[in-house]
Amino acid sequence: MQTELEHNFLQDFETNQNIVHKVCRIYTNNQDAHNDLFQEIAIQLWKNYSKFRGDSKFSTWMYRVALNTAISLYRKSTRTIKTQDISELSFKIKSHEYDDTEELQLKALYVAIRNMNDIDKALIFLYLEDKPYKEISDTLGISEVNARVKMNRAKEKLKKILNP
Amino acid sequence: MDLANYKKAWKNQPEEINKLSALEIYKMTQAKSTSIVKWIFIIGSLEFLFWIALNFIASQFNYAEVYEELHLMKYINYTYYLGFLVLFLFLVVFYRNYTSVSSVDNTKTLIKKIIRVRKTVKFYVYYNIISTVVVTVIFSIVVANTPGGMEAMFKNQDINIDPSQYLTLYITSIVITMIVLLGFLFLFYYLLYGLLLKKLNRNYKELTKLEEAK
Repeated sequence: MQTELEHNFLQDFETNQNIVHKVCRIYTNNQDAHNDLFQEIAIQLWKNYSKFRGDSKFSTWMYRVALNTAISLYRKSTRTIKTQDISELSFKIKSHEYDDTEELQLKALYVAIRNMNDIDKALIFLYLEDKPYKEISDTLGISEVNARVKMNRAKEKLKKILNP
Repeated sequence: MDLANYKKAWKNQPEEINKLSALEIYKMTQAKSTSIVKWIFIIGSLEFLFWIALNFIASQFNYAEVYEELHLMKYINYTYYLGFLVLFLFLVVFYRNYTSVSSVDNTKTLIKKIIRVRKTVKFYVYYNIISTVVVTVIFSIVVANTPGGMEAMFKNQDINIDPSQYLTLYITSIVITMIVLLGFLFLFYYLLYGLLLKKLNRNYKELTKLEEAK
């Protein structure tokens, strides 16, 4: 029997789960690890849901908890394999809906981001998700100026990996 | 080269195919967390237990007899009471630090809080080492300065030693015990916490790098 709180939580989570999947894709290299991290994020979200007051959007709150879990709480399980196979990308793309060039670009982007450090991953992810600097600095706990400087550096790094 | 095209590709990426149902998500939320904080908490608790056991075992030693003979028992008991009080305070702080860790905080604060949980245990271990050394040194001085103290210390041992060697032997045995204990602790910490905290320290450094340079 689910309480109303649980019901609301599950509904919010289900609709917004794509955010968590994206975080799992950039922080892990295979499906097992993806599921592991997804589960830990789900646990953390539920643990803190009662304190979520709706001051911000559920999705904004979700970004923060998901990234925090990936950066600070998640411990790679021993079964994590350390290879980065493009074909292993943990999602399949429906080709008829998606342009070929874009598909290749997306895969290259994922591979490149996976090669960055944990903090740069978060910065680039929030940039790709169009988050304002205010939100980025709030999420990471650094000043806005610092966030801008770090973001520029992370973007430069990303460009270098994409186009060596 | 511009990242704009890549950003467009990112925006147009299809939704995850293996979407989870509300029921599957519900099952996940019921699982036990295996986060780094949880590990630090468990290992920290075990450490507290280890030191409590060690202190208990030490208190059972037949050395008490010797100390009784030398009228030092009163002071030994004081150090035990003090030790328990300090242990209690440490446990309270440890638990409060642990419960203050929240994944809703910003990343920097979160990492700081996790490291603080670990630090509480570290300080307790330091406190134990330092207090052991201080207490040992003080009692050794007292024993060495008490007429017949050294003889009392060694009389229960089945070894034949020249009384003039007592002091040297006494100090040597203390130093060796300390070195072995510290070596063991260092190895333990280096391996265990090194592995657990590597990621956190690296990320914290990465976050604060620019701020410190300013």
